[in-house]
Amino acid sequence: MSVSQAIAAGDVALLPSRRDEDWRWTDLRGLIRAMPPVSPASERRFEAGAFGDGDVLMVNGVVRGDVEALIVPAGERRTVRLRVIADTSHTAHGADLSVSVGEAGELTLLESYEGLGEGYLTETRLNLSVDAGGRLERIVLAADAADAVAVSTATVVLAKGARFEQTTLTTGARRQRLETRIAHPGEGATVRMDAGYLLDGQRHADLTTAVAHEGVGGETSQLTKGIVRDQARGVFQGRIVVEKGADKTDARMGHHALILSEKAEIDAKPELLIYADDVSCAHGNTIGALDEDALFYARQRGIPDAQARAMLAEAFVGEVVDRIANDEARDVARQWVATHLGAV
Amino acid sequence: MLSINNLRASVEDKEILKGLTLDVPAGEVHAIMGPNGAGKSTLSYVLSGRGGYEVTDGSATLNGEDLLALEPDERAAKGVFLSFQYPLEIPGVPALTFLRTALNAQRKARGEDEIAAPAFLKLVREKAAELKIDFDMLKRSLNVGFSGGEKKRMEILQMAILQPKLLILDETDSGLDIDALRIVSEGVNAMRAPDRAMLVITHYQRLLDHIKPDRVHVLSAGRIVASGGPELALQLEAEGYDKYASAA
Amino acid sequence: MVAVKQTVEHVESLEAYKHGFITDIDQEFAPKGLNADIVRFISAKKDEPEWMLQWRLEAFERWLAMEEPTWAKVNFPRIDYQDAYYYAAPKAKDGPMSLDEVDPELLATYAKLGIPLKEQEVLAGVQGAPKYAVDAVFDSVSVVTTFKKELAAVGVIFCSMSEAIREHPELVKKYLGSVVPTSDNYFACLNSAVFSDGSFVYVPPGVRCPMELSTYFRINAAESGQFERTLIIVDKGAYVSYLEGCTAPMRDENQLHAAVVELVALEDAEIKYSTVQNWYPGDPKTGKGGIYNFVTKRADCRGDRSKVSWTQVETGSAVTWKYPSCVLRGNDSSGEFYSIAVTNGFQQADTGTKMIHLGANTKSRIISKGISAGKSSNTYRGLVSAHPKAKGARNFTQCDSLLIGKDCAAHTVPYVEARNGQSVFEHEATTTRLSDDQLFYVMQRGLNQEEAVALLVNGFVKDVLQQLPMEFAVEAQKLVAISLEGSVG
Repeated sequence: MSVSQAIAAGDVALLPSRRDEDWRWTDLRGLIRAMPPVSPASERRFEAGAFGDGDVLMVNGVVRGDVEALIVPAGERRTVRLRVIADTSHTAHGADLSVSVGEAGELTLLESYEGLGEGYLTETRLNLSVDAGGRLERIVLAADAADAVAVSTATVVLAKGARFEQTTLTTGARRQRLETRIAHPGEGATVRMDAGYLLDGQRHADLTTAVAHEGVGGETSQLTKGIVRDQARGVFQGRIVVEKGADKTDARMGHHALILSEKAEIDAKPELLIYADDVSCAHGNTIGALDEDALFYARQRGIPDAQARAMLAEAFVGEVVDRIANDEARDVARQWVATHLGAV
Repeated sequence: MLSINNLRASVEDKEILKGLTLDVPAGEVHAIMGPNGAGKSTLSYVLSGRGGYEVTDGSATLNGEDLLALEPDERAAKGVFLSFQYPLEIPGVPALTFLRTALNAQRKARGEDEIAAPAFLKLVREKAAELKIDFDMLKRSLNVGFSGGEKKRMEILQMAILQPKLLILDETDSGLDIDALRIVSEGVNAMRAPDRAMLVITHYQRLLDHIKPDRVHVLSAGRIVASGGPELALQLEAEGYDKYASAA
Repeated sequence: MVAVKQTVEHVESLEAYKHGFITDIDQEFAPKGLNADIVRFISAKKDEPEWMLQWRLEAFERWLAMEEPTWAKVNFPRIDYQDAYYYAAPKAKDGPMSLDEVDPELLATYAKLGIPLKEQEVLAGVQGAPKYAVDAVFDSVSVVTTFKKELAAVGVIFCSMSEAIREHPELVKKYLGSVVPTSDNYFACLNSAVFSDGSFVYVPPGVRCPMELSTYFRINAAESGQFERTLIIVDKGAYVSYLEGCTAPMRDENQLHAAVVELVALEDAEIKYSTVQNWYPGDPKTGKGGIYNFVTKRADCRGDRSKVSWTQVETGSAVTWKYPSCVLRGNDSSGEFYSIAVTNGFQQADTGTKMIHLGANTKSRIISKGISAGKSSNTYRGLVSAHPKAKGARNFTQCDSLLIGKDCAAHTVPYVEARNGQSVFEHEATTTRLSDDQLFYVMQRGLNQEEAVALLVNGFVKDVLQQLPMEFAVEAQKLVAISLEGSVG
């Protein structure tokens, strides 16, 4: 069951539903009654996105630009801006992309999801791989349409000594799922995987991750922070698996969320599945309102209520932004958060 | 300057302040002493406007203006500064950012222009040096990972930058070693001014060796039960609060 | 550290599973298998009124339409529900018995298990020791309940479920199935059809139950299942502390224990429910045999300011599937779950709790300590949810897992559903191995390996042990140590 399969077959019965344990909080089958028609091609030129003009564009499932840019040869360093654009309304499309970093190569992937139409249904599937000693930093800014259903699924395969870093920031959609699955070989490979979601209205965002530690001595550090208001719903499903023999694994997962209105919701399932004994794994999960004591403290110093709330909220998500390694991307991300927090 | 008249306040329907009356003229330092549970912290929170404290009767004015009707930030802009017994940690907000945001918010509320960045930095550097605060520390999240003494010094720094009219020091000596106490007290004493009033709330006389009060009041069971000169503090230190417990 | 020393001594002196003996006693059985006639047979054996039989038959009909759940992280061969006895009881005259009429062999069994059934023996104990009233359930029936008179004097009803159905039908009708509906889940539904015995407690308004109540469950017969049904109702402002213990003989076959426990706490009532579960875990070397412990335990904090606290020490059973839960319906009600789950050998445990916050300002606290050793698998699964009306709800959860050995597994699967903006949920979890450094440090001070493990594990589970009534805390501590025998080496 996947959105891609459903789109390809034009069959709603193939959409994931809440009966699938991994989709319990993101029910697509119950939402979509009939499959929309296939998205048309788009010839339009687009204004600059969050990261400026793109190097590679994926418009309504069709590639524009040199897709080879996403294949980084051994030893080479590059930054690629990938724009995934839905320039369509009430239609469906899927897309597949491969990204690879050769031995000791480096890629900074600046990826943006831009919803220009309404009510579209889409799944973008990325296969990412990093060879020995390579490094991939992926920064994702997702701005889908409020009534769209958008899924992005990244499958990541790392070699020994590879470093994978990811920061996903999103404002959600009618239903949005940003999923990352990582095969972690241990052996000096490290993973940092962060996310931030800022949801209002009736938006929904589902951050689902799975890291499978398959070798000795792997490290994973994961931090997700979210803010929801109105009737929005945030979903976090984080799974860390330590396979038998993957000793000396060090994995940390944190999910922390703020609910700013009465009717907003958060669902969280931070899982640890451990089959090796010499490990150090931990997760923490907190959900609550803004810290009233901190708010009072700020106001006692003369900062008005709304400004104090905004400051605390920005600081809350800021922790995720601060962990972005690439300076330029970090600045863009910080600005992006500030802009979208304006709405929250 | 600060005038409190027959103030009654409750927390979760339990009356804590039971008709408190107190005047602190401009230029004076008044100490409020009292046993645990007398209502000392409640007084500081009611004056600064923290949620959860319901004023049921009486008034509190600063220079004739009603404080109780104002939001906490409006009171701050009018010049009320509460130095917290346990200053909050605010992750993700650098101390410097916090300070500038607060200062500009207050200036804006008073109809003044925002302070320019260079002037602000100069001011902070100067005051931080006086308080022996490493400037780099101000780039870190406010109070996060600071020691008790560092947090209290950060309170004094904020005080020095914001230049309030009414200073309320809530158990400022708690958690301070003798050197930190001296630095903090010097900071507070430097704030003494003819147009500024101070309310020093403390359980122990120790702090008053460093910050000399003009008047000392005993708060017991929600009321001021005795007032006197600095000698009253010494007397309390020697005799304890027992005899006031019955008076309340 | 007297307790630790005691543990260490006991670890040395006791064999692995000391409750594995079989009592040779004349028993009567229902015919093997499960059908509507068996349900009628059980109901008739217990001399039940017609409404009870109808209730059972309805449950049986529903059960036939249900499917066995598969979502838990446990693996076991499919159960053949037709290949078991659903009723087994020591042969005796009908109706409640006095202690003199109980088969001496049974009394000897309980004495061997360390459960005194003679009231004078309890009284003759150490001066000042608290009294425990005991309901002794042997396979499908309650053989005796002690201290009934003394309890009745303050209005507390403590008896077997069979007796309650006959003697207090109005209470049973009102509350049975009101917390765990018949069709709640597969095993609860099966239980509703064929439940045999369990305990019934009613504490009237304002009464603080003068002694600890306890039920001791013993499976003895081969190829049989035990389907206990327990119902505890604590009226306004009343209090009870209740403890259950469970053991079974060592047998090569797997036996099913599918219990349902329902707790009802009305306004300002408080229930402390403690379990020391030591069913036969199966052969530690081969994994053969052992109890399937599929239990539905739920408390309804129906009244405002009511409080329920579950404490469990799970050391036994081949497969455990159990989530003692609290429905926090009353405003300001609170629920607690303290758990120690130890798995060794081939044991599998999937256990945890659900805290359903429905009322305003409801609070819950979950402390779970899982210890996996051998080739076992130990899963914490929990749900904390706050509904839109549960403003001011608060939860704190701490789940720690300790791994001993290369071949075991420890999983933490918490679900959190926050449905309003005024709740605060905090969850922390850690998974670590038993530290070599700590182990070495303790051994360097003169403890042998097993003693050192016992000492460190006791430190790991201390927060939960403290929640148990003292006598049982000591017992539980020994049990934890014994369960881990041979886990390091």
